[in-house]
Amino acid sequence: MSDIIAPPSVRALARQKGIDLEKLAKDLGRTSIAREDLEGGKPAAGPVGDTSYWDVDHSQFGPVTEEPMSRFAQVAAANLGAANALIPQVTHHDRADVTAIEALRGELKLDAQARGVKLTALAFQAKALARALREFPRFNASLSPDGKTLTLKNYVHIGIAVDTAHGLMVPVVRDVDQKGLWQIAAEISDLASRAQNRKVGPDEMGGASMTITNLGGIGGIGFTPIVNPPEVAILGITRTETVTLWDGDTPRPVTMVPLDLSYDHRVINGADAARFVSYLAGLIADPRRIMV
Amino acid sequence: MSDNHADLIVLGAGPGGYACAFRAADLGRNVVMVDPRATLGGVCLNVGCIPSKALLHAAEVIREARDGDNWGISTGKVSVDLNKLRAKKDSIVEQLTTGLVGLAKRRKVQTIRGTAQFTGDKSLDIDGEAWTFDQAVIAVASAPVRLPGWPEDDRIWDSTDVLEMREVPKKLAIVGGGIIGLEMATVYAALGSKVTVIEFMDQIAPGADNDAVAILNAALEAEGVTIHTNTKVTEVKATKAALTLSCEGGFEGKIKADVAIQAVGRRSNGHLVAPEAAGIEIDDRGVIPVNASCRANVDGIFAIGDVTGNPMLAHRATHQGHVAAEVASGHAAALDTTLIPSVAYTSPELAWAGLTQAQAKQQGVTHKVASFPWAASGRNLVSGGGDGLTKLVYCPETQRLLGATIVGRNAGELLAECVLAMEMGATLEDVSLAVHAHPTLSETVGFTAERALGTLTDL
Repeated sequence: MSDIIAPPSVRALARQKGIDLEKLAKDLGRTSIAREDLEGGKPAAGPVGDTSYWDVDHSQFGPVTEEPMSRFAQVAAANLGAANALIPQVTHHDRADVTAIEALRGELKLDAQARGVKLTALAFQAKALARALREFPRFNASLSPDGKTLTLKNYVHIGIAVDTAHGLMVPVVRDVDQKGLWQIAAEISDLASRAQNRKVGPDEMGGASMTITNLGGIGGIGFTPIVNPPEVAILGITRTETVTLWDGDTPRPVTMVPLDLSYDHRVINGADAARFVSYLAGLIADPRRIMV
Repeated sequence: MSDNHADLIVLGAGPGGYACAFRAADLGRNVVMVDPRATLGGVCLNVGCIPSKALLHAAEVIREARDGDNWGISTGKVSVDLNKLRAKKDSIVEQLTTGLVGLAKRRKVQTIRGTAQFTGDKSLDIDGEAWTFDQAVIAVASAPVRLPGWPEDDRIWDSTDVLEMREVPKKLAIVGGGIIGLEMATVYAALGSKVTVIEFMDQIAPGADNDAVAILNAALEAEGVTIHTNTKVTEVKATKAALTLSCEGGFEGKIKADVAIQAVGRRSNGHLVAPEAAGIEIDDRGVIPVNASCRANVDGIFAIGDVTGNPMLAHRATHQGHVAAEVASGHAAALDTTLIPSVAYTSPELAWAGLTQAQAKQQGVTHKVASFPWAASGRNLVSGGGDGLTKLVYCPETQRLLGATIVGRNAGELLAECVLAMEMGATLEDVSLAVHAHPTLSETVGFTAERALGTLTDL
């Protein structure tokens, strides 16, 4: 007998829908599956509110069309809803000087062409984040669902949120702290392009220390990403811009990248978050410090 | 394409075959059903479940009449008119098989009397006529195993001969103490035969819970049945006066009998359809292996029921028949349960499903056991029932049921609650909190769950 408990009618429905009950049970963290679990779309948990006023016949206001939410999108929606409802989140905003990184990228351009690897700013940011996570172990941790145990991770894997045609995917680069920039850049590029074609294996997702969600290529000056549990923080990045800094009375143009760290306040307090982001910004400003 | 073409052809009209044919027809398929018998219904209706249960009912009536004395009701000596009994049994069989003809007609299922053999993976021969088909379902059942080295003799019966009731032998030896052998012992003991059951394994009803079997064993012995376990029949000699069975093991010696019944199991009939012509895999026991969707190894060919191996039971065949019809018609279906109930319609009945205590132990499954003796069941006592037992095997961590065994009057009916409970993942508490009517035998299931939980007040 299977360890999963589901009534015969639910097993039959799962077969018709092509749903793997064992996998679903694992995803839901349960041993029993009810009919409702197969219908999807509803958040796994969270405060119950009155949503009846959302249920509006929009066509009375003008022409509309409808499209079904894919199963992928429904699962993502349920997970985001649960994360947002259940985790007390705070977002800390800062920025980092990227002059040195940009200069280095410029110097390495020919090397990059020769290697066929695009040495992106994101690769530097991932490497700097990995170093910061080694320095601040509570940011590289997960809180058990019952809130009783904090698991500290002795590895550094970085999730990269990728915007794809079928929805958001988060492939993970393993052991970023032990890899060189060329390799990190190549792996991010490979995972991102495969994610576009939904060719990322299940073993290439999950298990991250922290996720980076990078909107730098699109725009924006800051945002508040939602923590991706069981991780305890997520780093948002928006577009690099030249800002004016003042050295006393003297204005100085500096190229800076905005950093937005949303974190689980149950695990991380505000002062620690400020220290963490400040340390990270320092590494980005002077990438030599990543090495020492 | 030959003129004879079937969209879906079902070989065999037993409980698996007709369930499959009818379900497929209900799903809009054009179905042809082939069977060599003159009547529909296969082994189950013609020479199996149904006629044997008719005789077991008769046996029960005989015992009730005899035991009436205990209640101050005297009927005098019970006499049995064998011809009338046989005719009654036959009329029930006829009523049911004729009913099937009506059900087939209503669904426009074409039925052909004949023997079908494959000539290719999309073609068949039916008594010399060539047929082609898109999909085929093999449901050609099983046949009683014949023991090697036995003489040819009319006094040696198999389970089919037994049901013909040619006579009530004075001394009857039954080789094989499985469900079929024990049911025959129950019938013929009531009719007045002096019955001896010889079983090779260490208990009758091998595989069933030993506490429950002990109760059945005692009840059969009280009916005058002699039981030899751990015993092997080494030789059978036929003389004009009697059959002589030489035995070794638990019982050493010779048993003289007027009739001997072979009830040592059944063998799948896979070889009857010439499966090799279609490239269908078959093992040396005549079994055609299938997956949970009842697909054989050749695309478009399915097999269901006894021909797919153990357990050879009509209710399994019926469920597989529905699965095969649905899968063949493009639906996702499978027989995804291991809970196939076993029932011996003996007196008392013995029924079980899921893990027995011994199996749980053997498989290293964490388990606990609770039971309720029927001596404490009011309903059992007022209906003249003898000893009985309801026994549940459960997981101590989740409190979910893993198996159930019931021995006693109507055990086969009572088991249904346990099977549903197991399929639904019910816990002991679920079973105990569901209100069982009083006084009923079904209460014993609730009581057993209460006993496991420590809430029982009836013991």
